[in-house]
Amino acid sequence: MRDGDREDLELHRRLTTGDRGAFDELYRRYAKAAYGLAYRLTGQQILAQDVVHDAYMALWRAPEAYDPARGAFRTFFLSLVHHRAVDTVRREERLRKRQQRASNLEPVADEDVAEGVVDEAWVAIRRREVRQALTTLPPEQRQVLEMAYFDGKTQAVIAEELRIPLGTVKTRTLAAMRKLRRALDQEDDV
Amino acid sequence: MIEDHEQIEELLAGYVLRSLSGEDATRADELLSDHVPACGRCRDTLAGFQVLSAELALVTPPIAPPETLLPRLHRELEPVPRRRRTGQLVAVAASVALVAGLAGTSLTQFVRAGDRQARADDMAAALDLARQPEADLVPVGPATEISTPGAEEFYLYGTGVQSPPAGSVYRVWLVSETGTTYAGELPCEDGVVFLAVPFDPGSFTELMITVEPAGSSPAAPGDVVWTTAAAA
Repeated sequence: MRDGDREDLELHRRLTTGDRGAFDELYRRYAKAAYGLAYRLTGQQILAQDVVHDAYMALWRAPEAYDPARGAFRTFFLSLVHHRAVDTVRREERLRKRQQRASNLEPVADEDVAEGVVDEAWVAIRRREVRQALTTLPPEQRQVLEMAYFDGKTQAVIAEELRIPLGTVKTRTLAAMRKLRRALDQEDDV
Repeated sequence: MIEDHEQIEELLAGYVLRSLSGEDATRADELLSDHVPACGRCRDTLAGFQVLSAELALVTPPIAPPETLLPRLHRELEPVPRRRRTGQLVAVAASVALVAGLAGTSLTQFVRAGDRQARADDMAAALDLARQPEADLVPVGPATEISTPGAEEFYLYGTGVQSPPAGSVYRVWLVSETGTTYAGELPCEDGVVFLAVPFDPGSFTELMITVEPAGSSPAAPGDVVWTTAAAA
């Protein structure tokens, strides 16, 4: 277990007692990653802000929703953010319009990327590893994975847009997930 | 029951990415309740995919949220007793009909600055819409659904709305021939409710406002408190 994960566990334990300091620390740790993800998916600052807001409020109101036995806190929380962002995108039910917006994202005044980011060191390292692992995927696998994860599209919509059978989308998605998992597991072992 | 683990893992991958729909989503739900808990291989696969899904989040550039977000969260961590704060919050007039007569009035003067600005902008858009001759105004209990023909979104707005019971929230659901869709939480502050709903009003036949436990997963509609047929 990484030191960061261990610290998260302690922060989560404190959160269950209503410790606002722990809430603030978890905000400091994950709000940027959460907001970046939500913004990538929704393409709108106000929607991204609502997604992150709702995720943190859900965490505050029901911290017991995270079960430490089922994995790292960041896995739980960033998945929660992703799910809420996807749900927000789906609610729009206007993916084409959203795509247009996403291609012309609202300018973000304080986008905090690369050198400027104040990340935990291991997060920065892991970010590079995940990005590197993505580049090893065959383009057709990476495409379906990114359309699902970062565009919030269903596999049925992906099949329609790419004009390929739904079964092919499923096969490529699974292959991409397996390959990524293997690649990142190897990094973990290093 | 699906016996082929290749098929199962395809569904688990899609489930973790939240990209399943229709029959596949149903099959995944069945698997998660019937098969996965008893299958070590599937539990491991699911856990691995969940970790991977979270790590994919790291690919997106981290972006500092607006500085107003944390103070906004702080305000909500401990509910304060509700009381009317004149001129401070979104006390946006009395009703759609009255507001429709506010032409030329700057809505933002009623709204606290900062993170409420965007919501104020949405409210202003809603009330502008309500003034249009072609606007459809449909009552939903104490609120009003505001839309125009052909619009791809509509608004819910109301004043004098009783707060939901402690620990509960109002939620909006859209009913169509194919089922119900969760449309969002309907905040109620100082008796004012407002929500911009990015749906074509023609895509559903009925709108429901429910009351549900705060923080619960909106998997299915809770207790319906108000409902109406949607605008034609």
